[in-house]
Amino acid sequence: MGYKKHSIIFTLLFIGSAADAKPVSYVDGTMVMQENDETGHTISMDYTLTPHYAVGWYDKWEENEKSRKDFSVHGPEFNTLIRRWNMADGQTNIFNSSSIGVAEGSGKTRSAAWTSFLADYETRRIFTSYEVRGMFADTIDKSILQRARVGFAPYKAGYEDVATWLMIQVDDHPSKTDIFVVTPLVRLFYKTALVEIGYSSNNHIMLNWDLQF
Amino acid sequence: MKKIFIFSAMMIAISSTAYAGTITATVNGLVCAFCATGIEKTFKKQPAVEHIKVDLENKLVTINTKPRQNLDDNTITQLLTDAGYSVTAITREK
Repeated sequence: MGYKKHSIIFTLLFIGSAADAKPVSYVDGTMVMQENDETGHTISMDYTLTPHYAVGWYDKWEENEKSRKDFSVHGPEFNTLIRRWNMADGQTNIFNSSSIGVAEGSGKTRSAAWTSFLADYETRRIFTSYEVRGMFADTIDKSILQRARVGFAPYKAGYEDVATWLMIQVDDHPSKTDIFVVTPLVRLFYKTALVEIGYSSNNHIMLNWDLQF
Repeated sequence: MKKIFIFSAMMIAISSTAYAGTITATVNGLVCAFCATGIEKTFKKQPAVEHIKVDLENKLVTINTKPRQNLDDNTITQLLTDAGYSVTAITREK
């Protein structure tokens, strides 16, 4: 598998990462997430075993813009809350998600592994996050991709309110045609239901949703 | 006789209600309803819990226990920690 193909698969994995919902929630909590954006379609499910560990499954499908060939990746994910700082008015987290799975493309199936580190800081009015993700598939091939988000809430939402966030997401994926992609988006959530709607600088609609139960 | 019976039943009911306690925990890290729902769901699994309310503005979790039932401080702290938060104070009232 060539470098470019590796990079494409890696890109799929990176962009398909969680829509900033935390990969570890409360004990015995299950989260289902579905994403539709410039990179394709993702669905994942995670179950939190302990305050620090969650397990899940991840699937992603994409049609490559250039080659018009379909790619997909599938695999279990193991999520770890490495460290959390709870403050009076905010929270900071560092997470790791790692997986060993398979990548499919051009009629072939290959083994794949990926890992990511996500750091976030949020208050009731400010949100920031940064993620870096690395991928290994089939042969020795390493790639690094990055994603950052900043956002603010125009009002402090109460427990019974619909929360609104205005955010900007910046992706840096050197292997893609559009290396830097900026996506302004609106996040709405009510209790454990979350929806994100955005439009990227390379003219793709983003529509993500999460549901936790 | 009937009035005495009704009065006695009312007194027993009032007395039982009086055993229900209100516990308030002050919590750090409480920033959104998405996360706070985890607290609600965690505590609702506890047989002793009658009602729970999360106050994001004041960072308070208020727990009402069922009559003649209780949750000790260690259990409350553990449940909140499992939900991802840090407890800074617990107060009780009857």
